[in-house]
Amino acid sequence: MTDDQIRIGVYVCECGINIGAVIDVPEVVRFASVLPNVTVARQFKYMCSESGQKMIQDDIKHLGINRVVVASCTPRMHEPTFQNAIAAAGLNPYYFQMTNIREQVSWVVEDPAQATAKAKRLVSAAVARVAWHAPLQARKEKVTPAALVVGGGIAGIQAALTIAEGGYQVYLVEREPSIGGHMAQLDKTFPTLDCST
Amino acid sequence: MMDAGRHPNIRLLTYSDVIDVSGYIGQFKVKVRQRPRYVDTTLCTGCGACVEACVYRKGVPNEFDAGLSKRRAAYIPLNGQGVPMKTVIDKDTCVWLSRGKCLKDCIKACPANAIDFDQKEEIVELNVGSIVVATGFDMFNPKRLSAYAYGKSPNILDGLQFERMSSATGPTKGLILTAEGKKPERVAIIHCVGSRDEHANRYCSRVCCMYALKHAHLVRDKTGAEVFEFYMDIRAFGKDDEEFYQRVQEEGVYFVRGRGAEVVVLNDGKLQVKAEDTTLGIPVQIGVDMVVLETAMEPQRDSDKVASLFGISRSASGFFQEAHPKLRPFHTNTEGVFLAGTCQAPKDVPDTVAHAGAAAGEVLSLLGRGTVVISPTTALVDEALCSGCKTCLALCPYAAISFIAQNGTGVVRINEALCKGCGTCTAACPAGAITARHFTDQQIVAELEGLFAIA
Repeated sequence: MTDDQIRIGVYVCECGINIGAVIDVPEVVRFASVLPNVTVARQFKYMCSESGQKMIQDDIKHLGINRVVVASCTPRMHEPTFQNAIAAAGLNPYYFQMTNIREQVSWVVEDPAQATAKAKRLVSAAVARVAWHAPLQARKEKVTPAALVVGGGIAGIQAALTIAEGGYQVYLVEREPSIGGHMAQLDKTFPTLDCST
Repeated sequence: MMDAGRHPNIRLLTYSDVIDVSGYIGQFKVKVRQRPRYVDTTLCTGCGACVEACVYRKGVPNEFDAGLSKRRAAYIPLNGQGVPMKTVIDKDTCVWLSRGKCLKDCIKACPANAIDFDQKEEIVELNVGSIVVATGFDMFNPKRLSAYAYGKSPNILDGLQFERMSSATGPTKGLILTAEGKKPERVAIIHCVGSRDEHANRYCSRVCCMYALKHAHLVRDKTGAEVFEFYMDIRAFGKDDEEFYQRVQEEGVYFVRGRGAEVVVLNDGKLQVKAEDTTLGIPVQIGVDMVVLETAMEPQRDSDKVASLFGISRSASGFFQEAHPKLRPFHTNTEGVFLAGTCQAPKDVPDTVAHAGAAAGEVLSLLGRGTVVISPTTALVDEALCSGCKTCLALCPYAAISFIAQNGTGVVRINEALCKGCGTCTAACPAGAITARHFTDQQIVAELEGLFAIA
């Protein structure tokens, strides 16, 4: 888009029946579609799915959506999913706001009318916020090509050998005077009774 | 073990502790303290002449044999099989180092002139891109459960002591013997010591059932003794484990379904195990001449300190917390720091190796990429507004803020690689000079207005 007009897309997830069975999702979509700066509001069974993500990407391409609000689950899991999806469609991933209507609404509010009202408020807040979002740029930093492994038992030895075989320097730190850990103390190991050392 | 000792890309730092970690994913700085071995490892050939010569013949309990044998002050770890195979002189036991009086026969005996009582600790500084924490577990100490009478008879062993007794490199060269030096005729094996127990740990330690079955097999195989296995449930869920359980049943082990409740040391030194046999619904008492307490894996004693050193958290059981129980089981919440093995939760050998291999895979992926993306959701200082009051400096949980002195006063700057964008400094700044790029005042006010825009 050449103009700098804010065009918000709102995507309300049903999360199967996790959200859809409690919140009146079509009502939330109707409400969102007339909020300021909102160009389109849609619902979908699983917004995090391939087709859900494509729905958002298509709107960015065809409707010129330049801010995205997803009303779904906790951002801990799927915020990166959606940010990657909108970045793939050419939009800065920080033109994005996620609002949690599952853990904070449908899983905890029993009354459907109250749940729907709360979901609307959260969507309204996210729409108002995303209009003020700025494009942020991630930076890149170099990685020192070496690893520290702390503990020289079987786990530390296995990790150290795998990394070292990959061609990188490994520092294996062990507090005892020898590596080996508990593994070196064991006689035979179950269930095959082979020797441990 | 030996492969790790001689790999050209692995530098071993044994007898060493990590004392400081700073930096961030891709660019960690680590300080390691190497304790003195009092032996020059570049000269020591591991011949053992100094061990023979060590005047401390009385000995102290040998850690490697779980206390079943003694070692001298000078010793080669792992009963002579250590990696590196070099002598270490334990300063707390060594008569010269602890009391300042000794003939120092070890020095005379050493053909390589390797003994050096002037050795001091060394601090080694390392730069690494990633860290694997593989600090393992501690064995539950059954003294904490007095009903098992551990320590009251030499014929009551814990799981690790039995391993050492059964090992060819152990104190009895692999023979299973009572303290009287005889083959036992009746052996009790008690499951869940320190696990699935409200008085110790609530969790299932996952490996004890299988190693208890292995112990039963070893006793039957090596001594022919009658074995009584006291269990609540047999958890033989690993690959080929159920088949092993069936094999041990066929070897003639008696399985008593019920937690071993009490071990009594009788006047003649014999042992008696009391339990409820829940399949028969009656209390049972079985006389035996050896008891093996199948002890649980516990978090390392110092796991709280290790956790804070590496910026990782612990779960309710005390083991290190993975970032996600299913999808990120070897990641931590500190980027670039990964978990391997039993420091995360009790594991058997195959699961430990798999977990460690997966953590190594993450490290290889990171090192192979060569660069890391640093999130832009950080705090930003407007240096024109900053008065240099330093209020924010002490508040930052990530030590990401530094003070830059300028003409008598100064300003603060944020290290964006360390900053997690938590907003503490933003809220605290009296001059309003710090902004969280992703939580600007405008954004927060707009969000609140949106929240209350509807009746």
